[in-house]
Amino acid sequence: MSTDQTRFGILLAALSAFIVSGYAFAESPSVTAVLSNSEAGVGATVQMEVKVSGANSVEAPDEIKADGLEIHRTSTSRQFEMRNFTTTSSITYTYTVLPLKAGTFEIPPQAIRAGGTSLRTPELTLHVVGSPGRQAAPNRGSSGSNVNPGKLVFAELIVPKKSAYVGEVIPAVVRLGFATRLVSLDGPQIAGQGFTMQKLQGSEQPQVELINGRQFAVYTFKTAIAAARPGKLDIGPVKATARLLVPSQSRSSRSRSPFDTFNMDDFFSDPFFADPFGRSTEKQDVPVESELVTLDVKPLPANPPADFSGAIGNFSMTVDANPKSVQVGDPITVTAAVSGRGNFDRLTAPALEDEHGWHKYPPSAKFKQDDDVGISGAKTFETVLSPNEKKQAISPFVFSFFDPAKEQYVTLKSNAIPIRVEGGAPAAAAVSPPGSATPAPAAAARPAKPTPKPQDILYQLTDRPAHAQSFTPMYARPNFWWGQIIPLLGLLGFIGWKIRQIRVDNREAQRMAALNHESAELMRKLRRTDRSPYQYYLDASRAIQVKTALAKNVEPNVVDVEMAGAAFQLDEDSRRQLRELFARSDELRYSGTQNGGESISPEHRREVLDLLEHLRI
Amino acid sequence: MKQLRAKFCALLASLGLVASVLAQSDAQFVKANQEYASNHFKEAIDEYQTLVHAGEWSANLFYDLGNAYFRSGDFGRAILNYERALALEPHHPEAQANLRIARDEARALELRPSWPERYLQSATVNQYSIAAAVVFWVAAFSITGLILSRQKSARLITLSSFSLAIFGLLAVAIFWIDDTGKGRALAIVTGKETEARVATADNANRVLALSPGSQIKIVQQRGDWLYATLPNNLNGWIPAKSAELVRL
Repeated sequence: MSTDQTRFGILLAALSAFIVSGYAFAESPSVTAVLSNSEAGVGATVQMEVKVSGANSVEAPDEIKADGLEIHRTSTSRQFEMRNFTTTSSITYTYTVLPLKAGTFEIPPQAIRAGGTSLRTPELTLHVVGSPGRQAAPNRGSSGSNVNPGKLVFAELIVPKKSAYVGEVIPAVVRLGFATRLVSLDGPQIAGQGFTMQKLQGSEQPQVELINGRQFAVYTFKTAIAAARPGKLDIGPVKATARLLVPSQSRSSRSRSPFDTFNMDDFFSDPFFADPFGRSTEKQDVPVESELVTLDVKPLPANPPADFSGAIGNFSMTVDANPKSVQVGDPITVTAAVSGRGNFDRLTAPALEDEHGWHKYPPSAKFKQDDDVGISGAKTFETVLSPNEKKQAISPFVFSFFDPAKEQYVTLKSNAIPIRVEGGAPAAAAVSPPGSATPAPAAAARPAKPTPKPQDILYQLTDRPAHAQSFTPMYARPNFWWGQIIPLLGLLGFIGWKIRQIRVDNREAQRMAALNHESAELMRKLRRTDRSPYQYYLDASRAIQVKTALAKNVEPNVVDVEMAGAAFQLDEDSRRQLRELFARSDELRYSGTQNGGESISPEHRREVLDLLEHLRI
Repeated sequence: MKQLRAKFCALLASLGLVASVLAQSDAQFVKANQEYASNHFKEAIDEYQTLVHAGEWSANLFYDLGNAYFRSGDFGRAILNYERALALEPHHPEAQANLRIARDEARALELRPSWPERYLQSATVNQYSIAAAVVFWVAAFSITGLILSRQKSARLITLSSFSLAIFGLLAVAIFWIDDTGKGRALAIVTGKETEARVATADNANRVLALSPGSQIKIVQQRGDWLYATLPNNLNGWIPAKSAELVRL
């Protein structure tokens, strides 16, 4: 038992260690900060999200002081994520930024306490234009952007731009507002064709907003849209079906205006306050629909750089390599991180400008997003390079994208990374110090043609197996399953043998029970005084045989004095008594004197009973 | 008696037919090798392909066919046939060596195995299948013994639980390698200028340019297009005629 407990303890400890290791390997605290829009009009708010990952206790400021801006924290949310048995948690603080005047404003880095460490957010820049009605004004499609006071619900689709390029990712926000209690919501969905859209990411908790003097619970959903073709593109409308609690028509006792569907003339006639216990309200499905938003989609300019793979946005690139001192043929891992804002799903790895003398393996990519919809973040590519000859540097990496703000293609080019490759033929290369990437003319980004390497394959093989081979995995072949018949027959044989063994054990148990019963019965008879000598000695000798049979697991009839003496390891005196008893029994049985009048003395009876009762192993 | 004689003759005839087919395929294989040795690679490919179509599959046949394609400059099909040789014999040393050379020449892209695949690649599906069968029967015997014993032995309980757990892990490993990993869905790009696209149209945006011999994993087929998992953790549509499954 103790061994089992020890095993269980080891298993439990291993499991605990495995779970704990998931936390142990969790990433160290980090912070990112992004603005929902880098441009805004005076009085038009933008959202700033500060996301702290890898820390349980975080202290962030409630408000941030910045010249020309009013910044207040409006909400906090916490997310947990488990990936590859590693748990990460993050806290997102959402701030509302209200521009007070036109100009370009910096939001200074903020100190965030995360666990025992102090982190700083990056500095953010917001361009504020004169009025919200100009270019920074979002493209809105609303069922009531000037929300109709008579309506209980409104839907709004906000697209921050009125024109975009094909493939450019544009954040979009769907806002659904309800002035009455929402029971359930089906949707929302954005209708339309000619664009791709990320899954809508909705907030669990609504924000209460006062619109035209009425309180609305506003649910916000975020997504990102990318146009697939040029031309006028209609996005939306946003459609949803809301199940609302509205005042029951039949039970309403208040008089109301015939033009007021929901009895909204005064504040307290709102169904939200009509009956807190829901006695005079009913559920009603209300369709919600916004107006559509039109986007002017422009095609990308002609003549993109050779390595342009469709990346559109604003990116920066850093490149590093490790190790920096190797032998010819050794692998070097080059890590290129492209960060910024744009269509990260179309980002491919930066290209090595001059691949001559290098063997390049396919890169791996990892994306870490900084927002809900994946248009802001950093994509890290790891490429393994192996030098075929002596080298002094890894040539620059180039990465091209289209910048919709500048309306031109931009090619980022990293500096050459000095390394030391020993062995093989020498090669000359001009080296400049490593560092971050710098934009370069698009024409300079074309990678050089690789030089083919002379390699030869191995010889032909002339032998063939006797039987054709098969691609079918073994478990899917009939022979495999036919082969299972052998152990199956073995198992059936094993079951039969076990069942037979159980039956034999049962018969033996029954025999032993019968012998025990007979022994007890004989002892009971021997204690009686009315038995004739013939019966008495017959029972006594039979009792000895039965007891011996029980002790030695043999048939009672084969038991004689010697066997009984040996079975119970009797001394010579007792053996003599047994001999006399058996002899007397045989004499009475075979001499024909069983009906004689001879009696047995009580002392003799006691001696025989004592002898029989002491027959134990 | 006449019937028995007829049956015996039929048996002899069938054996003779089998022997003649085997001899013919051997002769064809020898002829293909001779064509290859004479630098007649196109003819060698035709001879090898005849054997492939006849179902006379062997790792050496696919390896030789891969060599013939390599010599004729078709690196995509060379890599495809080396992969087929390795699918039949995962440790075929010549196929491994030539595949590496062909990939270098073609600059073919490889799928990066997921972390479970990296651990599970130490054995083949067939080895996992045999191990799973053995462990299954150990579990079956020990559970039967446990059920039919009067006294429930702790050793038997431990053996039953352990073998059942191992069987479960092996079953998952088989499924993972064969279904999720580079199993039945693995295909090789054989087209010369293949480009994966975001949609099933020739003018749809490009996702990735695939060199001949690049590995892909087919997710689904729609008409003349294949939706596939691509190297660099990408997905896209490629023309169905541009890729071939490794497993026949």
